[in-house]
Amino acid sequence: MNPKRFSSSTRPSTTVKSRFACGFLRALWRINRQRRTSTSASSREICRRYLRVKVAADVSMASAVGSRRAWSRAILLRKLRNQGQNGTVRVRRMSNIPRMRKRNICGNKCTEEVAGTCQAEQLRKLVPGGEEMDMCNLLGETAHYIECLTTQVNVMRRIAEILST
Amino acid sequence: MEPNPGTLAGSISIRPDQEETGFESLQFREEIQRLIAVPPENASSFTALLELPATQAMELLHSPPSEEGDPAPLSGDSLHGISDDHISYISSFNGNPTFPSNKALVERAAKFSVFASGENSPETSSVPSNSSANLEKVKSEPAETDSNPNSSQPLVSDPTVESKTQRSAKRKEREKKGKGCTKKSKNETSQDAQKLPYVHVRARRGQATDSHSLAERARREKINARMKLLQELVPGCTKISGTALVLDEIINHVQSLQRQVEFLSMRLAAVNPRVDYNLEGLFATESGSLVDSNFPSMVAPLVCPEIPFNGSRQDYQQQWHFDALQQPLWGREEDSHTFITPDNSLLSYDSANSASLHSNQLKMEL
Repeated sequence: MNPKRFSSSTRPSTTVKSRFACGFLRALWRINRQRRTSTSASSREICRRYLRVKVAADVSMASAVGSRRAWSRAILLRKLRNQGQNGTVRVRRMSNIPRMRKRNICGNKCTEEVAGTCQAEQLRKLVPGGEEMDMCNLLGETAHYIECLTTQVNVMRRIAEILST
Repeated sequence: MEPNPGTLAGSISIRPDQEETGFESLQFREEIQRLIAVPPENASSFTALLELPATQAMELLHSPPSEEGDPAPLSGDSLHGISDDHISYISSFNGNPTFPSNKALVERAAKFSVFASGENSPETSSVPSNSSANLEKVKSEPAETDSNPNSSQPLVSDPTVESKTQRSAKRKEREKKGKGCTKKSKNETSQDAQKLPYVHVRARRGQATDSHSLAERARREKINARMKLLQELVPGCTKISGTALVLDEIINHVQSLQRQVEFLSMRLAAVNPRVDYNLEGLFATESGSLVDSNFPSMVAPLVCPEIPFNGSRQDYQQQWHFDALQQPLWGREEDSHTFITPDNSLLSYDSANSASLHSNQLKMEL
């Protein structure tokens, strides 16, 4: 895989991939550490763990990407908001969300309206943080999101293979 | 140039009716004179058009009186040696932007009808290509000389468009149109023209040139560029044509990727590690290589039910083994980060080797 944002040659590669792998493994370790205490293998436990792993995967991916991208920011914000519900809210609200761009959101509706549902809306639901973006940015974010998802899938698949052999 | 006589006759008959072309014809004359002042290539093509030597062409163009085209005085000037075809053509050209539907003539005439802002070749090449775009529309009608009245109509819109575009000065837009139209301009010869202070924008046929539509167009082109990027990302999308289908593919791809992530996280949650993690020390040092060093210590204690690890004795052995492994690992990592070690040829699965195999595999992966 080609490394992204390869910083310097002296340090080993600090690509998104390696950062994600590192963070994800750490999260897995934390989850499994909790698991050791409760030895039950009930399906509910597994379900809960699955959700936690999923969130960990998304969050570690988002933090590996940084806050450069709108979708990673959205994921991190969502996580902070969920944490804030439990404790103090430390979220710095993004007040400059471009609301004015909403008028462009439906600009291309006619070209994409197929089978009843607008494709742009579907895409917005899929990509985190895509609700308030105009079409142009949405497409850019989707491209980056697809790249990162592919990386994520590959790393997770590799981890799963290794952990299960 | 056979159809000329007929077409010119037709154009002349129509010309008097079009009085609104007075303004444009004035502009025409100015531009034509400007063009003539331009290096000889222009003149040569113009004269080639007329099949006249340069001097006679100059005479021709300077001779017509200030009032709008009236063929009679022109021919009365008796530009001798010039056939009636040329006279009437010139007069019609001077007085009236109705061009015959002959392709070559129309192209060249349209060339001159552009206020060649003496722009650079992109401009002039875009112009003939624009005119060829117009031609294609013109040609769609029957290419008979009788169609001249019909063909004159769309072409009349050109000067009006041109006069509008004269006022707008957007270089970027012009370049875009040049780019968009260069593919049509293969057969055109680009003229060299002098640079003039202001930039002309030639709108494509049927497109307005006010700032809103220009911005719209820029936006649309940005969106199309992003769509192309996405098409390359999504496998199998390059063959699909049409925005809607491509978007469907993209949506499906994103959904499938998200489902894969969910499935893999379920799998990871269900994995049943017999854990003896020894990672605190490793997590302390933060670097990308940590991934490599983490894996051995994580992998070793993890037990697949199939592999007969019995008891914690082996775990300890493995940990010790990995501590030993880590030193050479870190030592090696100073050198480079590309560890395509040949150890993946190891196929034996006893405890120590499996761990090293995993670590090498992971190093390769990452």
